[in-house]
Amino acid sequence: MVFVNPSMNYRDLIDQLSSKTGRSKKETKELLGVAVEKLTEQLSEGRGVSIPDLGTFTTKTTEKKKVYNPHYEDYIMVPPKRTVEFSPSAGLKESVKFSEGGGDE
Amino acid sequence: MSEKITFKELVDLIATQSNQSRNSTNSFIHELVDIIENGLKKSGSVSISGFGKFELRWMKPRTGVNPQTGEELSIPGQNKVVFKPYKNLREDVNKPFSHLESKVVGDEKDSSESTPDTSDSKETNEGYDEDPFESMLNDSDWNSAFYSAEEGVEKPEKADEPNAAYSSVSSASVSVDELLIERENPKFAKEKEAVKQETEDKAIAKKESDKPAAIPNKEKIAEEVQKSGSFKWSYAAAVIIALLAFIILFFMIQRFQSGDSQTQQNQIEMATPAPDATDSSPAVSDDTEPEPPGGGPQTEFDTSPLTVEPGQSLWIIAESELGNPYLWPVLYNLNRDVLENPNQLPEASDIQIPDISDPENLNEFEREQVALGYFSLYEWNRANNPDEARFFLWAVGVCSPDLLDQPPADVDPDDLEFARNR
Repeated sequence: MVFVNPSMNYRDLIDQLSSKTGRSKKETKELLGVAVEKLTEQLSEGRGVSIPDLGTFTTKTTEKKKVYNPHYEDYIMVPPKRTVEFSPSAGLKESVKFSEGGGDE
Repeated sequence: MSEKITFKELVDLIATQSNQSRNSTNSFIHELVDIIENGLKKSGSVSISGFGKFELRWMKPRTGVNPQTGEELSIPGQNKVVFKPYKNLREDVNKPFSHLESKVVGDEKDSSESTPDTSDSKETNEGYDEDPFESMLNDSDWNSAFYSAEEGVEKPEKADEPNAAYSSVSSASVSVDELLIERENPKFAKEKEAVKQETEDKAIAKKESDKPAAIPNKEKIAEEVQKSGSFKWSYAAAVIIALLAFIILFFMIQRFQSGDSQTQQNQIEMATPAPDATDSSPAVSDDTEPEPPGGGPQTEFDTSPLTVEPGQSLWIIAESELGNPYLWPVLYNLNRDVLENPNQLPEASDIQIPDISDPENLNEFEREQVALGYFSLYEWNRANNPDEARFFLWAVGVCSPDLLDQPPADVDPDDLEFARNR
């Protein structure tokens, strides 16, 4: 069987968060759910959000562009697309710079 | 697009939605950030269900140049934080453009129609709403847009120059194509020769049609290019199918010749704790031995409830909750009373999530549960999707060979044969 790399999954996150904030797991889940929902909502409307000590979420719209598709032997017009970009804060960058759990390249 | 909301506004929004005080929401987010940071330091990746995943990526040391002094400096290796948005977030953010699809456009250009406006990118997006093929032929904005983007610098003044530019574009595209095909399969070399010839011919033909009329017959060329593209594709597909057929035939003959005893042995080798191997070489036995059961025999999972959110699947839940998507059959097996069809997860249904301590190293009981999960899938598929059922039985054998020897319910002998010998 194929197993993925060890990682902190959602469950671990909820566990730690609830023990730190003294909320029940259910409450923690709900509150985190609301936070994620609101964040997503703002990003969907194209607004950036910056969270202190973590970083800034912004959206970036790529223009439509013409690329060569070797399969069609022709140029393809790729439509514009909006994606989420995250730029970590200076503090976060610095603190994880030389930590152990880095993935490959 | 450069609009932003402040952190305070975000906290306000969350606080009102969840009926919490601003203070507690604020501290909640700060704790969250803390945990994300620590999680990144320790395990290198933190996943937030329905949102995305923060990961560390190791950047190798490299040399850079100081842009001010031109001096070379070495940049040491370091971790970089990357954020991968999950599907939900990606789709939500891309909503304004989600109805657009990429479309094929000809690579020819038309000097008479080109208008020198470069700032119409917003406007031309509307072209996507029309029928793609028709708009491709009619929408002059499109062509002018590529035109100004690609060759805006050296805009032609005479009628001859576009042709020269065109042929250089075309030859470049051919060479890219060559490389790609060659890398995929050297056997295509001959085919490629022919294709190249064809494309060159086309290019010449186009050039000639360009010269006298100045307005080339765009429809014709576009159609031609599309036709040639689809023709090649079907040709390549036929070759691949033929190759596959040969390979399958070859393997079938081999299996037939090697006989039963051979396959039996193969099967034993495939099963993890091979008894022969452990006897003959103790060094190997350490590796093949199953993990020691964690703290006495377990009979039931500790579970916790979860309400399914829209867009989630068992696979996604298994990935975010259990840490390994391949464990999803456990979820199905545990929640069979709620889930009738393993492939359909009703929105807002409450399901039980088992507690799996370490998805990397399952203990014996958990392995068996996974196997049972696959077995329940086998049973469902046997009733509803008989063609694929045997693959699930095979997966049962991979997780727990014992279970395959003593199946908890009736299995089809043919399927059992398949699961053992695959």
